[in-house]
Amino acid sequence: MFFDNVDFSALELPPAALELRGEVRAFLQHEIVAGSYVPHLGHAEFDLEFTRKVAARGWIGVTWPKQYGGQERSYLERFVITEEMLAAAAPCAAHWFGDRQTGPSLLRHGSEMLKQKYLPAIARGDMAFALGMSEPGSGSDLASVRTRAEKVEGGWHVSGQKVWTSWAHKADAFFVLCRTAPQGEDRHQGLSQLIVDIKTSPGVTVRPIRFMNGEHHFNEVFLDNVFVPDDHVLGEVGQGWKQITSELALERSGPERYMTTLPLLVELIRRLGASDDVRAHEMVGRLTARLWTLRRMSLAIALALDPASGNAGVDLATEAALVKDMGTFYEREITDAARLLVATEPALDAADTFERYLAECIVCAPVSTIRGGTTQVLRTLIARRLLGALK
Amino acid sequence: MSASTEVRTLLADTAQRLFTAHVTQKTLEAARDGGWSEPLWQELERAQLPLIGVPEAAGGAGGTLSDAAAVLRIAARHAAPVPLAETLLAGALLAGAGLKAPHGALTVAPDGDQQVTAVKAGATWRVTGTLKRVPYARAARHLVLLAAGHVFSLEPAHYRVTPGRNLAGEARDEVTLKHAVARAAAPTTITHEQLFARGALLRAIQIGGALERALQLACDYAGQRVQFGRKIAQFQAIQQELARCGGEVAAAVAAALSAAGVVERLEGETGAAATQQVLLAVAAAKIRAADAAREAVAITHQVHGAIGVTDEYALHYVTLRALSWREEFGNEAWWATQLGRAMQQAGADACWPTLSAA
Repeated sequence: MFFDNVDFSALELPPAALELRGEVRAFLQHEIVAGSYVPHLGHAEFDLEFTRKVAARGWIGVTWPKQYGGQERSYLERFVITEEMLAAAAPCAAHWFGDRQTGPSLLRHGSEMLKQKYLPAIARGDMAFALGMSEPGSGSDLASVRTRAEKVEGGWHVSGQKVWTSWAHKADAFFVLCRTAPQGEDRHQGLSQLIVDIKTSPGVTVRPIRFMNGEHHFNEVFLDNVFVPDDHVLGEVGQGWKQITSELALERSGPERYMTTLPLLVELIRRLGASDDVRAHEMVGRLTARLWTLRRMSLAIALALDPASGNAGVDLATEAALVKDMGTFYEREITDAARLLVATEPALDAADTFERYLAECIVCAPVSTIRGGTTQVLRTLIARRLLGALK
Repeated sequence: MSASTEVRTLLADTAQRLFTAHVTQKTLEAARDGGWSEPLWQELERAQLPLIGVPEAAGGAGGTLSDAAAVLRIAARHAAPVPLAETLLAGALLAGAGLKAPHGALTVAPDGDQQVTAVKAGATWRVTGTLKRVPYARAARHLVLLAAGHVFSLEPAHYRVTPGRNLAGEARDEVTLKHAVARAAAPTTITHEQLFARGALLRAIQIGGALERALQLACDYAGQRVQFGRKIAQFQAIQQELARCGGEVAAAVAAALSAAGVVERLEGETGAAATQQVLLAVAAAKIRAADAAREAVAITHQVHGAIGVTDEYALHYVTLRALSWREEFGNEAWWATQLGRAMQQAGADACWPTLSAA
């Protein structure tokens, strides 16, 4: 039904991954003690200096070939790095998208020129990517994007508007999903991914959209006849939809879908101290059990998708949707348990870490079940697998 | 595919064929009245499926705990009314004490010292007390129990069985022992906690299998039942609920099978770290499976409408089992309290290192 060829009984991290975990954990502890960043929950912060330190250790693009700045390590090692960054609420926004999405897309679909140009720069922390997917009229229904590219001599002229583009005001470039051919019978045809240099391309305007707590991470990006050379089309013209959906399994199943509120659970346990309140035990125990389970499912997907596992071609997109759906609700369970067990009025400017984390988690809670596929879209996908092709 | 995976696939195929052929609506109806199905048990013995995961040297069929889990999961999908989990548990307990597992259906009393006293007179151990809700006691050729630091095996001639049943009609009997002579006795290092945890793990695996069947039935039904001129599976309201159910069931199965793998790998290790990982895995499996049972049983019944609550329809054979099994060997509140206490005692800074240790 789900996870059909996955052997859960054999899920184990190899020694190399455990060793790497120790290194990453020590690095992050050092950074926190040195005060190089203040952990925040809800949204990963954009901190180029931090990203460069991570890059200097070779931890961005770890699974990529060495010729493109990678380390040729396993997906499980990448999994471990991601986990540790999340557990420490590290400011990874400057390399998150490149490491998780644009890098793997470039590797799979990009020309040699594009790979040479971007991958080593991402791995060095010299280049930050954003994703230009949603539009004012296209949220869950991504195939309805209206941003258009018209063929001109040597390239394309792109016009349209993107929204919710996280960190576009700081990123160097972004992937733009747009229509390169008019919509025909199959609406998934005729879409392409173009790589647009945000900082230097004439015709690109980035404007902030403030989050409800006043913070600025997302933007709207206007594209007005922006010229994109032919060699900056990712993969095949017209195959953008297929390229995007083929990357979803890893993107949706990773620890970032269920671990962003974990530091609050840790601070909750600190706050509860040696209390022998059975109600607290029960809630902490249940949260622990659910995290343990989500992690096994997420690990199973990372392991199965690793090219080294010999499972090439295995399709775990539905399982990934399951992990994201349950993971995003799990994150809120931590938040809710924290507020029910500790009577406090959360404040974003609280001096106390527990109280500040709680406030950050509450305010950011609505986002996780919307971005990267809403709950309802994910469940429609899952139901399709369960029910088969219904006529 | 590794050799061990191939063996397990073969075992699963064998189990699948056997249960499909021999567990019919008639089998289930008859077993609900009698408490179990002896003919089905005979078939299992012919196929050497009981005692998988118990070493051959101890009279078992060999194989790993995960092999046993694979068979148990399939048995539960079919609501097989036989003491398979109980025989496995008894076999493991006997093997751990160096005793051979006798032929035939076995059972284990989950509680020992709290309810019985074992006294040695000369060379003979005699056990006295009343054991409540012993699974399949009426079917067992031997009752295995843990008391006074020993594993005992007793024969039916030496105790009295008063029939009882769980919500699904599975035998949950009372056993009265009056100076009952133990046929075999041996000292053991296995503790009540370990026995209870192994029982909880087996029940979590069974819940996973039962819920898989319930979900399958609900999906099949939604694809056939027509209302308002359409198959109900075409309504988004139904789809969203089935998808949520799918997540619950997948999580229950993932937790239970993963936990079996952890327990298998750490078998025999006595260090604090290993003990903690076993508690984490078993508690997670039982808690997650029980939580899933609550959600998945409610959804699968809701999708079926009134037909699902009728005696003639097969759904209740798996849903009532899942609901019963979640209470046995500690319910989710009990396990969550144990796990939460351990996590809090270890402290905040040990939380993530513990969760990420394996």
